[in-house]
Amino acid sequence: MTTGTLNTLAAAALGAVLATGAVAEAESDDPIKLTINEWTGQVLTTHIAGELLGKMGYNVEYVTAGYFPQMTALQDNTVTAALEIWTTNIADAYDIAIGSGNVTDIGSLGLVPLETWFYPAHVEELCPGLPDWEALKNCPQVFASAETIPQGRLVDYPADWGTSNRDRLIGLELPFTSIPAGSEGALVAEIKTAFTRETPLLVMFYSPHWIFSEFDLRAVTLPPHEEGCTDDPSVGVNPNATYDCDFKRGDVRKVAWAGMAEKWPGAHKLLGALEISNDQQIDLINMVDQQGKSVDDAVAHWLAENETTWQGWIDAAK
Amino acid sequence: MAEAAHTPNRRALIGFATAAALAVACLMLRSDLPWLKAYPAQWTLAFSAWINLAIGALLEIASPLFRALSTFLDWPMRMIRDGLQAIPWLVLTAGFVAVALRAGGLPLALFSAVACVYIQVSGYWAESLNSLALVAVAFPLSVLAGLLIGIAMNKSRRLAAFLTPMLDFMQTAPAFAYLVPLIVLFGFGPVVGLIASAIYAIPPMARNTRLGLDMVSPELHEVAAMTGCSPVKRFWLVEMPTALPQLLVGLNQTIMAVLSMVVFAAIIGGFEDIGWEVLRSMRRAQFGESLMAGIIITLIAIMLDRITRGFALKARTHSKPAMPLGRYAGFAAAAMALAALASLILPEGAGSGFGMSERINAAVADLSVAVGTTTDALKNNAIYFFLLPIRIGLEQTISPFTWGFAFSPALKTGYWIALALLASAVALRKGPLAATITLLAGLFLYTGTSGMPWPATIALASAIGYWAGGARIAALWAGTLAMILLTGLWTPAMFSVYICLSAILICVALGGAIGVLAAQSDAVSALIRPILDLLQTIPPFVLLIPVVMFFQVGDFSAFLAIISYAIAPMIRYTEGGLRAVPPTKIEAGLTAGCTPMQLLFLVKLPTAQRQIALGINQSIMYGLAMLAVAALVGSRGLGQEVYVALGKADAGLGIMAGCAIAAIAICVDRTFVSALERG
Repeated sequence: MTTGTLNTLAAAALGAVLATGAVAEAESDDPIKLTINEWTGQVLTTHIAGELLGKMGYNVEYVTAGYFPQMTALQDNTVTAALEIWTTNIADAYDIAIGSGNVTDIGSLGLVPLETWFYPAHVEELCPGLPDWEALKNCPQVFASAETIPQGRLVDYPADWGTSNRDRLIGLELPFTSIPAGSEGALVAEIKTAFTRETPLLVMFYSPHWIFSEFDLRAVTLPPHEEGCTDDPSVGVNPNATYDCDFKRGDVRKVAWAGMAEKWPGAHKLLGALEISNDQQIDLINMVDQQGKSVDDAVAHWLAENETTWQGWIDAAK
Repeated sequence: MAEAAHTPNRRALIGFATAAALAVACLMLRSDLPWLKAYPAQWTLAFSAWINLAIGALLEIASPLFRALSTFLDWPMRMIRDGLQAIPWLVLTAGFVAVALRAGGLPLALFSAVACVYIQVSGYWAESLNSLALVAVAFPLSVLAGLLIGIAMNKSRRLAAFLTPMLDFMQTAPAFAYLVPLIVLFGFGPVVGLIASAIYAIPPMARNTRLGLDMVSPELHEVAAMTGCSPVKRFWLVEMPTALPQLLVGLNQTIMAVLSMVVFAAIIGGFEDIGWEVLRSMRRAQFGESLMAGIIITLIAIMLDRITRGFALKARTHSKPAMPLGRYAGFAAAAMALAALASLILPEGAGSGFGMSERINAAVADLSVAVGTTTDALKNNAIYFFLLPIRIGLEQTISPFTWGFAFSPALKTGYWIALALLASAVALRKGPLAATITLLAGLFLYTGTSGMPWPATIALASAIGYWAGGARIAALWAGTLAMILLTGLWTPAMFSVYICLSAILICVALGGAIGVLAAQSDAVSALIRPILDLLQTIPPFVLLIPVVMFFQVGDFSAFLAIISYAIAPMIRYTEGGLRAVPPTKIEAGLTAGCTPMQLLFLVKLPTAQRQIALGINQSIMYGLAMLAVAALVGSRGLGQEVYVALGKADAGLGIMAGCAIAAIAICVDRTFVSALERG
């Protein structure tokens, strides 16, 4: 406890020294407002960015914001930047914001999300042949529920995230029905319950996510993704259908208010350079969600481990 | 006299017979005319694009005005927030307790103290103050606006006719539906939450103000006129004091409404408040944490309600408090100063809830494992034998997987013959009206809400409206449903109708039964009252996670979520109605030799008919209001459309889906009201 406090104090003092050394000249000292969404990974990413901006001498403010509403807030600099926009679940709000001309995409965050169907490890006994997708053909009854019987149940993303699973199930000729979960909370509750009750579950989900630090959730191996498989029936395993392949790996983007490049050019460059890998983020998520460390401690850990990387970004941004 | 009594029945017969004939015709033709079954998309109109255009235009013209208003509202909210945050919690607690003691005596002071300590210990003190800041601006704003609207409605009939449907919309359209346009107009931030809260909280104040003023008797007006009161004097000295009890009801309802919106307001963010905590823990499916945070909203609601009520009652009775205000304030200030000293000595720091939430989570998880087979069996049976028939009809429900056998052509013929025989028997015993209704019920059971061809559904709804309130209500139904068809929202709307209808049927049966029990036994009544309070004030989001843990994502969970929220008014009104039956009537029943059962069914329930009908009405309203929340556990329908609109930033679609929910609610309400007025 005491050492922790001391560390924090030391870090703060160090930060202050660095800050005075690196005050960005002639740039605005208005606060740069970064959005904080509800999930741990995003909070960590944003705090790393905030720490780095602080080292460069900028004022940083964290603003809690809903995932969709923040796209509106970005358009008039009510918030300045949002650093984890998952292209797969933002639907049209992202396009609309970029299309307005008031929001710019400032590059990829470097996370490569894995989005596919997952199942709890204990299901492998009930449905032999998993993780290969063809095993699912033989055991829909394992996953069936009262609403889908005789078909199996695939717990799908909420309808507002956008999902292609209805087409994919048809394309792969799997006897499953997709049931939208309605919310992230419902998805997580389904997964938690499947593990506590040891019941079967097939669920559309994504990684990196903190739930993987708690449960042994495994991915189904779908036929590999091929370009054109979603439009051209002849591409993919089923010659008569589209969507007969794996999901295209998505991308996580960083977006900022369009005026940022002019108002805070250095900060804009830094956020553009900021990257974090899947493994790094999963480690940090584990520290916070599993080991009960604070976000600040996890961020300090990352900063200590990756000093050459971020020092490079800062030097390049000046 | 006799003819007057017959008119509604004859009307009903005409309406229902037409609907039945149309339904039969549609069912026979549906394989040849596919547009009867599914309304073709090319016949819909692009309303959502038009709405988006209109919002765009409004934004062009009025954006500076809205943004100025936004800044104007943002300022006091931040001031209050920063002010509250600057005060140590012990000092604020002392202040709250002092106010509570003044308003409601020792019990309320004790309650406030416990509530404050709970909030601090659970570690949500700062977040709660942020919510309080929002309430502190939204509540007076809603009360003021509600008062003005209510007074205007009392003074002008024309205004009232115009404003009533507006108030209905404000109260029944889910907040998510107009979130996108509000963010566009007012800019991102807590002000949007404030406006959303006010939109939802103004109607109860306006309605109660109007009701209170309308109840001022004409004699009183005359007396005032004779004593030479000016209109202004008459208003302040006669009308307002007479209406005060009703205003108090309005005050209470407004507080509840503002607080129930706290979580919705948090969806937007920008204001780390308690609603945000509820949402965050809900997103992580942490029931314990969301319950701990959700209960705070309930506690604040009760505290604010009792305090305002206490002061208002004191003002009405003009009772002189034992201690003059000045000296009392002095004592309170001294207590707060003492608390300030104490907080200097005591270590500052937020509590962590003593691991309470972890224990709750573990208990719920254990329970979900322990009762797993029971909950699964309950769910399966409810789906096979209740939900599916209502949604897709026996026609598609019956299969070897569900009922254990196929619905063969022979069985179908058997079903129709049995229905015809039943209808004939009913016709002989109860007359043609009952027979037609039996026939319609049989048809409905066969097709379900989604299988019933849309012309037949519209005809059936209009027939019910016609029976209840004549051509006006019939036209209202027909118009509403036609609009829903034109907007292309028919399928989701029918899904919503199905899930609400199923939930309401259970609410009426189960809630009615509990209400009867509570009316008979004071013990039951005392037992259920705090549960009902909790159900009505805790954010409904909190209940979603355990429902999913026990029953998984899907219709059944949505169905339970709606019941949990909509059953409370049914129980309350049933109990209230039964308890209000005059003792003379009961005595008359007893002297006539009624058994307790006969007394209940022949005397009490018929006398309490109106309150029970009001309870059903309120249950339906609550059920419709829950649609948007139920969509979070995987229900489809209009609620889901609202979220899809949010994801697409499509203001038009959201508004349309919200309006469809509100319009259905208004139709249901008008139907009930006119049926009740007819008696």
